[in-house]
Amino acid sequence: MDVVLLFSMVLALLLIGAPIAVALGLSSMMFLLVFSDTSLASVAQSMYQAMAGHYTLLAIPFFILASSFMSTGGVAKRIIRFSIACVGHMRGGLAIAGVFACMIFAALSGSSPATVVAIGSIVIAAMQKAGYTKDFAAGVICNAGTLGILIPPSIVMVVYASATDVSVGRMFLAGVIPGLMAGAMLMVTIYVMARIKNLPKGEWQGWGEISASFLDAFWGLMLIAIIMVGIYGIPGITGAIFTPTEAAAVASVYAFLVAVFIYRDMGPLAGANGPIGTVFSKPSSLITAWFHRDTRATLFDGAKLTIMLMFIIANALILKHVLTDEQIPQQIANAMLSAGFGKIMFLIVVNVILLIGGQFMEPSGLIVIVAPLVFPIAIELGVDPIHLGIIMVVNMEIGMITPPVGLNLFVTSGVAGMPMMAVVRAAAPFLAVLFVFLILITYIPWLSTALPEWRMGPEIITN
Amino acid sequence: MASRTVTPQSGFGSFINSLEEGFISLILGLMVLLTFTNVVMRYIFNSSLIWGLEVVLILFAWLVLFGIAYGFKVTSHLGVDALTNMLPHRGQRLMGMLSALACLIYAMLLMKGAYDYWAPFAGFEQTTGRWFPTGFDERTRDRAFYVTDQVPMLEIFRWLEGAINAGEEYEKLPRVIPYTMLPVAVALMLLRLIQATIRILRGEQMSLIVSHEAEEEVERVAQGQYEE
Repeated sequence: MDVVLLFSMVLALLLIGAPIAVALGLSSMMFLLVFSDTSLASVAQSMYQAMAGHYTLLAIPFFILASSFMSTGGVAKRIIRFSIACVGHMRGGLAIAGVFACMIFAALSGSSPATVVAIGSIVIAAMQKAGYTKDFAAGVICNAGTLGILIPPSIVMVVYASATDVSVGRMFLAGVIPGLMAGAMLMVTIYVMARIKNLPKGEWQGWGEISASFLDAFWGLMLIAIIMVGIYGIPGITGAIFTPTEAAAVASVYAFLVAVFIYRDMGPLAGANGPIGTVFSKPSSLITAWFHRDTRATLFDGAKLTIMLMFIIANALILKHVLTDEQIPQQIANAMLSAGFGKIMFLIVVNVILLIGGQFMEPSGLIVIVAPLVFPIAIELGVDPIHLGIIMVVNMEIGMITPPVGLNLFVTSGVAGMPMMAVVRAAAPFLAVLFVFLILITYIPWLSTALPEWRMGPEIITN
Repeated sequence: MASRTVTPQSGFGSFINSLEEGFISLILGLMVLLTFTNVVMRYIFNSSLIWGLEVVLILFAWLVLFGIAYGFKVTSHLGVDALTNMLPHRGQRLMGMLSALACLIYAMLLMKGAYDYWAPFAGFEQTTGRWFPTGFDERTRDRAFYVTDQVPMLEIFRWLEGAINAGEEYEKLPRVIPYTMLPVAVALMLLRLIQATIRILRGEQMSLIVSHEAEEEVERVAQGQYEE
């Protein structure tokens, strides 16, 4: 079959070390030139329209930017202090606080590697100092970091929503219960391990420290409120205030203002040893902040990440056009239905495809390709589109901590300064927890659909 | 993740580098500010810049298209290096050359596509041929009169009216302006890929994808950028 040829080519190009985007784009172009009458001009057009025609995807650069400002702005440090104050006194407290901090940071940022870098670079070292093994520390953070794409906002969810035309707002809400649940499961596991292994515990620092650290982290935590209230409105009082894309842009501007003018960890008011003044003592900062070296560097970091991701997504969209033009989703759907696959079997197949694919591909790119393939079948079989989205996201989480392309593994190995294979081993016990979690998510749709249905009414499928 | 760090040799190289980085940062900055301004205007002044969204989307396309070339220059694009890492040195070199070849083919095909898509909007003729340009197509339908949905016409582009629109006035910005980034960006990508291929042939670089050794992150931690 032609399509087998197409996928073999993608895989071959990936394995010889071509960039993912080129592997997807070149294979699709070759396919189109040989088997269809599509011209190269229309390929170029879809490259352009991948950005200019997708309002939803516009949220990606903005969420990336907000999280860049938050991680360079020392917000992570304050969140960790707050987490330690809350749960640090339990047995294995620092590890549990690490998970808690990852959950909070996940609610500020939409990406898993960003969460690992922001929290891991501080917590892993602190855990070693407190007497944990490096392996344990790396394993905990590597896994908890994956919550970055499950707890809203999430870049992977934005991509799914855009690929399948479901609402971003619904997807974000659907991630809340699973996100809290995954975090809780990791924490309980750590607590049990800590009891058995008699891991260190910190000291209870009192309610004073909790409230002091909360106040210190307040401006960072407010970002969560801005995003959530912005997208969903205040229950009972207002409707939605922004679209998710606008919420992301507002979040970036807010994160910039907090980092530069309130925390003063970057920009014209930051010194080597803490802030060197306030807006009032140095009013020129109101102007210079916008062009300051730190601001430009953060903008550039965010832009670079956006470019990498969107280059892949744009080419994945070309491949998606090929697949839909060839009516591949319908063919697969018919094959599966005539083979008598039910809902359960279908979900297992989806899990397996994504788990394997997730080991070779960048999550957003994989979602763009797989979502249109399985979406029509899911609708046919009566699987809720939102539920399917959450299943995909959780699969991507697991893909991020399984070799060879587990992004979180690479980042953790860098942050902790240990070899890849050591991180893989360290992450394994918690990986088992995530697998149990995946099974729960897959077979209990209520976990994903309850919140969006309660807040936004039942999902209406129009196609 | 470690990308190639660029240390430009000449003053010209570093000038180009800061120009590229500055342009990329500026576009993203403008996108955010424009979106933010529109939200604020909607709630506080009850009005909005009607062209805001369209311009932001155009800038988004410009940002990514222009940035792809930069990504090839500093080798920051993602790929799978699990297999190539297991090969001996010579095998890695061979794979590097093969993937460079694939990228060059990709960029050349896209170059033809980008030109063909852009040309009618600029009043030029498309190229004939399916895979390679074999000549110019005289039957190309002129699309120079297409304008953007909402973006106002800018005075500095008025000369286009005489040049490509038979002297007729543009009421909105013609589409050729935003679309021009497409051939420009692909040409830049092709240039950067040729340079990267030369580096691979000379043995100065192993592959076209970011290596997963994560040296950069380690460095940043070592530099104390994340210290307590």
